[in-house]
Amino acid sequence: MIAIQEPDPLQYLVQRPDVSERFAALKKRPVVLSVQHLYKEFECQTGAVTALKDVSFDVYRREFMCVIGPSGCGKSTLIRILAGLESSSDGQVLLDGNPVTGPGPDRGMVFQSYTLFPWLTVKQNVMFGPRMSGQRGTSAESEARQWIDLVGLSKFENSYPHHLSGGMKQRVAIARALANRPRILLMDEPFGALDAQTRSQMQSYLLQIWRNLDLTILFITHDLDEAAFLADRILVLKANPGEVNEIIEVPVPRPRTPSQFITPEFVATKYHIDQLIHPNHGGSEDTLPFPRMTPQGDDVE
Amino acid sequence: MKTDTKKAAVPREPWFAARRELSAKRAAVLTVFSFSLPLLIWCAVSYLPFLWHPDVELKISADREGVTTVYTPGDRVSEEFFPQFEEAVREQNRQVEPLMSLLKPVEAGSEASIRRANKKVLRHLASLLVENGWLTEEQTKDDAAIFAAWKEIATGARLPERPRLSHENLEIIRRNWAAMSAYSDVYDSDNFVSRPLLSLIPQGRPANPDYLPAPHEVLISGYKEFSKPAEAERPSMWQRVGHSMRIVFGGFLLAALVGVPIGVICGTYSFFSKLIEPFTDFFRYMPAPTFSTLLVVVFLANDAPKMALVFIGTIFQLVLVVANTTRRLDLPLLEAAQTLGANQLQLLTKVVIPGILPNLYNDLRILLGWAWTWLVIAELVGVKSGLTEFIETQGRWRNFDSVYPVIILIGLIGFFTDQILSFLRGIFFPWTSDGAAAASNPLAKGLLFVPRFFKGAANERLPYHPDSTSPKQA
Repeated sequence: MIAIQEPDPLQYLVQRPDVSERFAALKKRPVVLSVQHLYKEFECQTGAVTALKDVSFDVYRREFMCVIGPSGCGKSTLIRILAGLESSSDGQVLLDGNPVTGPGPDRGMVFQSYTLFPWLTVKQNVMFGPRMSGQRGTSAESEARQWIDLVGLSKFENSYPHHLSGGMKQRVAIARALANRPRILLMDEPFGALDAQTRSQMQSYLLQIWRNLDLTILFITHDLDEAAFLADRILVLKANPGEVNEIIEVPVPRPRTPSQFITPEFVATKYHIDQLIHPNHGGSEDTLPFPRMTPQGDDVE
Repeated sequence: MKTDTKKAAVPREPWFAARRELSAKRAAVLTVFSFSLPLLIWCAVSYLPFLWHPDVELKISADREGVTTVYTPGDRVSEEFFPQFEEAVREQNRQVEPLMSLLKPVEAGSEASIRRANKKVLRHLASLLVENGWLTEEQTKDDAAIFAAWKEIATGARLPERPRLSHENLEIIRRNWAAMSAYSDVYDSDNFVSRPLLSLIPQGRPANPDYLPAPHEVLISGYKEFSKPAEAERPSMWQRVGHSMRIVFGGFLLAALVGVPIGVICGTYSFFSKLIEPFTDFFRYMPAPTFSTLLVVVFLANDAPKMALVFIGTIFQLVLVVANTTRRLDLPLLEAAQTLGANQLQLLTKVVIPGILPNLYNDLRILLGWAWTWLVIAELVGVKSGLTEFIETQGRWRNFDSVYPVIILIGLIGFFTDQILSFLRGIFFPWTSDGAAAASNPLAKGLLFVPRFFKGAANERLPYHPDSTSPKQA
């Protein structure tokens, strides 16, 4: 990033006509998830800590939204509240207009730590959700097979999770969440534990799945490339307390390919997010107070 | 710079490296040593006379006048005492010697008592003769046979080999025989020598104390005890083993039946954890044996109070261990299940219980070992029973060669139960890393065939077979 010439700070706002048309169409879609004036306060030993402060945003049907922010901005707290795993201190979360009160199958969740049930095979893991809602028999099983097929793991349907690689585990986790046909898929840094190659592979898988299903995705990440590559819009949070900093409409046209990483729209978007998250960065490296410990003339740079 | 032309030697794997696994071969060798070394030490201490052997096992013993403690062949005396013992008998013989002479008259009326004492001297050789195979076990009171043996030894026709008689004792035997044969050349109870005879000087061999019998003695006694059939008042050893196992497994299973559900709900719900665990934690510090008299009052006789003691000794630990295991279940698994629509009951039955099973199994395995440790105390409650009764009685008679086989057997039962359970874990829980290991084991493959067979048959019936889909693997 440092090597690239600094772009115009406002260039990320420039959208091609087809891109702005897409956004206009997107905003006409119904709102699936509506977050309204959400607050979250924790009791700590040092006193009350505000993790989230007046967070409001809407996610439209079939939108791909990423949430990004510096560490400690409450991204995970936010998604856990949306999933119903934690309660908010104030404000409300509406799913299709109905308030969210607890965890439920209408909001699928994919965790960073895979969370596959180790005692169930891949197929049984995918069937877990439907079974909880009382679905039985061969129809549930063949449906599970279709989801496994969709993530390309038919060969492994009878394997136990400990035989799978990290990327494969995460694909099973996605299939398992999709098998419940959720209204929205919440993903909490799902590819954070994967190596770089597997991660980019998983990103294209996810985009393919998203493109072909009636699926709304809210995706948390700390990776700027990942956010700019995947998202329609990026929700940027501020830290201490966690507040909405800006909601960025990504001007990179779809369909996305890794070759777009060097397009001006992409670079401008990434530069802008970087400025928002690391305002003191200033383009210069953070220097360590480190004395020279090598002889003169033996320089590497 | 010089290039290093020396061929690098392949470094040998070190035997001692912190937290490094040894090769399978080395591990196997060490496992063999782990059992054979203690056995080897036991053999060495038992069979090498220069190692330890602080006692003398008497082969020939003699009564002394006016001493209450009587040593018989087979008894052990300490090395320090043995010379004193020998000297005391020699001293006694010095006093008898003048009376042996036929010239001096014997006090009137004392002939009968001298004859009685002489018959005892005659029998001093009895156990030595048995050991040499000259007499059978039943003949130790057959004075005629012993008398004949005296003659053989005195005339030099045959000499005992195990042990050889000392010259001193051979001399005494000749002199005594001279006195005996003066009366009669064959044994005649009424015409037995009535002049005092010399006592045999004690002879023995270095020995360990009776509480450390040699391996072969333990083996022989073990074989004898375990092949004895049951008698009216005396159950056979296998019946005792069955009885003891019933008490341990009975008490343990009851504890598991009650304790596992309590432990699981304590580990799942803080409500039950805070309600139950503090008291359990307190109760487990009260030693179970302190309740033994109470248990007899409540459960009366027979096995009930014994099982109750194993139960009390196990359940409190069990509840706490199971609760802890349940709490160690990955919390995100529960959260994932909730986002997939699992309700409270389903969380418990479909996530918590299957999730903790492999660890729970291990806990129960360890706690079964714990239950074994209560065996002896439990069997002392009320009327002594089972293996403990045998150990108690034999131990009191100092028959330690019979006690050891039982102690070793208890160890073996516990050890092999644990080994079998540990092996089965991989078969029961194929999704654990043990399971992966077990799947490659030929025995496990055989055991797994049955459930797979039925599962395979079920798959055939489905219209949608896994192999018919083409995998879209990228």
